[in-house]
Amino acid sequence: MKKERSKKYRAIQAVRILSQSIFFILFFYLLLVTHFPGEDYIGRVEIFFHFDPLLAIATFIASRAFFVSFSLAASTVVLTFVLGRVACGWVCPLGSTHQFFSFIFKKSKLLKPKKNGDNRTAWKYYLLIFILVGTLFSLDLVGIFDPLSLLYRSFVASILPAINLGLSAFIGLLYQVNISSLGDTLVQFFENLAVNSVFRQGFFLGVLFIGILFLNLSRERYWCRYLCPLGALLGLISRWNVMKLKIDTKKCIDCWLCTIHCQTQARPYPEEDWKSSECVYCYTCSAICPTSAVSFPLKSKPEEIVRVDLSRRKLIFTSLLGIAAIPFFRLSPATRRASPKLIRPPGALPEKKFLKKCVKCGECMKACPTNGLQPALAEAGPEGIWTPILVPKIGHCEYYCSLCSQVCPTGAIQELTVEEKTKIKIGLAWVNKNTCIPYNLGTPCIVCEEHCPTSPKAIKLVKKEVKLPDGTIKTPLAPVINTDLCIGCGICEAKCPVVDEPAIYVTSVGESRSETNQLLLDIIKEEEGLF
Amino acid sequence: MKRRDFIKDIAAGSLLLKLHPSLLAQKKSVPDLAWIHGDSPSLITREALSSLGGAKRFVSRGDVVVVKPNIGWDRTPKLAACTNPEVVKTLVELCLDAGAKEVKIMDNPCNPARRTYVRSGIAAAAKEAGAKVLLPNPHRLKKMALHGEWLKEWEVYTDFVEADKIINVPIAKTHSLSRLTMGMKNWLGALGGNRNQLHQKLDQSMIDLASFFRPCLTVLDGYRILIRNGPQGGRVSDTKLYKTVVAGVDYVAVDAAGATFFDLEPQELPYLRVAHQKGFGEIELEKLIIEKRTL
Repeated sequence: MKKERSKKYRAIQAVRILSQSIFFILFFYLLLVTHFPGEDYIGRVEIFFHFDPLLAIATFIASRAFFVSFSLAASTVVLTFVLGRVACGWVCPLGSTHQFFSFIFKKSKLLKPKKNGDNRTAWKYYLLIFILVGTLFSLDLVGIFDPLSLLYRSFVASILPAINLGLSAFIGLLYQVNISSLGDTLVQFFENLAVNSVFRQGFFLGVLFIGILFLNLSRERYWCRYLCPLGALLGLISRWNVMKLKIDTKKCIDCWLCTIHCQTQARPYPEEDWKSSECVYCYTCSAICPTSAVSFPLKSKPEEIVRVDLSRRKLIFTSLLGIAAIPFFRLSPATRRASPKLIRPPGALPEKKFLKKCVKCGECMKACPTNGLQPALAEAGPEGIWTPILVPKIGHCEYYCSLCSQVCPTGAIQELTVEEKTKIKIGLAWVNKNTCIPYNLGTPCIVCEEHCPTSPKAIKLVKKEVKLPDGTIKTPLAPVINTDLCIGCGICEAKCPVVDEPAIYVTSVGESRSETNQLLLDIIKEEEGLF
Repeated sequence: MKRRDFIKDIAAGSLLLKLHPSLLAQKKSVPDLAWIHGDSPSLITREALSSLGGAKRFVSRGDVVVVKPNIGWDRTPKLAACTNPEVVKTLVELCLDAGAKEVKIMDNPCNPARRTYVRSGIAAAAKEAGAKVLLPNPHRLKKMALHGEWLKEWEVYTDFVEADKIINVPIAKTHSLSRLTMGMKNWLGALGGNRNQLHQKLDQSMIDLASFFRPCLTVLDGYRILIRNGPQGGRVSDTKLYKTVVAGVDYVAVDAAGATFFDLEPQELPYLRVAHQKGFGEIELEKLIIEKRTL
């Protein structure tokens, strides 16, 4: 018998790799252009997220509100219903990343694919149940595990900044060896890309991401086959799978290659073991088969979809675990008192609603022109990890910018016009008279006042009497805040010349989105009463 | 021609040039300041330069020229926080017409550079005129000896030092510390480092910087000036349409002229007083030849 690999399926495999590359490049391109585009409004650079049914469903359940943009996710649902998990195999940029590394690891013999399967494929379904049970009780953890959020966040807060630093060092080298014209060109190019390169948890998020990539040393596409909750959801949605695996037993030589190299442990051989809900239609099996025995003929006749065995006991246990976990994620002092450092971007919904919608993707952090938006660690409690907070010490909220509100894929930050944005308070600034230069040294400074963007300025300069250590008295101009005018943008804190701990700082009190995190009752502000 | 004659001619010629450059120029004496008023920012800039003897007086063929506008803030032109883009554009055109090899536009803004460059309108205007618009490049920062009285050294963008010619194009605005910010204050935009600390001795810093940077020409944009809430403003009502450009080689005189936009005497500004005492320039406007014109 003639031994030959199928030309047709090798071609399909090549097309699939092309498709993965295109979608990855598209994802990366949309990520790169998420910055000030030279005008006030940016297009739908967050559109990738809107095709994600996991984010759509979780956000819908958690917030009890449907976000119209997510109607695009219906196309993924229909696609999966008819064709199966092709989105995993042909589109998902995180899937492609994992497959790329699996390929590298396999070629370099660091990963030796195994013939035998295991039942860890069920994990992702339990994880999905765990997440969805949480959303029923408005605990939205989907952003931590959603593949698009994970990839975007890791790129924004860790990979890109690291690349940026590396390149900067390289460019520095160019200047040292006097190739400055090339250096200039590169610098102007990268400055125009406006990559935010300072992230508080950059190292941590990077280790996490690279750790997940390294899982591919153990099993091909480890994340996709064992952990991805979106993959699990798509597995559950798949119904029809019109392309069905067929093994020509006359040609088959029982070599097991198809099953050994199956990317997601769908086990094409033996045929009756094939789990169509695990298959991502990468066509590796049909392309690798030395005798062209494996094929995927179209069969419109619905057949029963073979799924991963999920034990009912474990499902119940996971659901209960999900419920039990909820209060643990809410153990936070922020429930008693508003957290002063919890300065949300302008347009952010009131905290409780915000947490139900934010998927921790990092779009806003990428769009922020000052790098001030940072992933939260503990400020918003455990459930709010990696949600955006403004850290004015790193960067302020730019007065005429509403990009973060425009790129938010879930509406956790409500879309604002620049006009609307300038009227929103995200906090209030306070002068620390213990360290402020005029208050202590009697020396002029005015930097905070100069940078205050409102007109009239929220920082007024008032002559203050300062007694110096030698007893002399000076009367420098010192900053005093008008809390009615202050919007909490934090440029004063960002630019304060007291370099280590700025002598003027912003806290969240007075933020427009909160009814309770306020300094004065409105009735007190209005007029003087009898007393 | 014999070699001897040739040498004689050269000697005579150079002596003539050294002692009486005006003999070869036009008869009319060149004013110290051109003070032009008019409706079009670009026309008054053009007129100011031609009153001073044309751009060729300042820019030679093949020069690399850096034009330093104030692009400090994320504000649109009607808010008068940054130099008028038309004025910048016209200067770029004039420099290129005068034979400049390259004209670069650069400033180190307070708000993110990419935003200020675009929203001030300066990037587009300057690019249209053929300038190279450069975002501040951290690799080009270099700690330099400024030899100032107070500022001994600071990080300076080398673009401003390596250029053959620099032209300073500030805008006239109020400022809560130096009262006014014009030409001399504009040099803070050529610095890197923690320059906000310079405010602790701002007037002295301005003096020290003025003695370091050597602009061949200062063009003060007074088309729309900022009279309140400086140096950023924020509302059109903070500005005043003044429709004036003042240009001159003596940057102290230019700033002194600018003070009068705000009904201030130049002597009222400490940094101008000191600059004058040190002999950097003239602040008594009556001692200057001023060509005032309305278009």
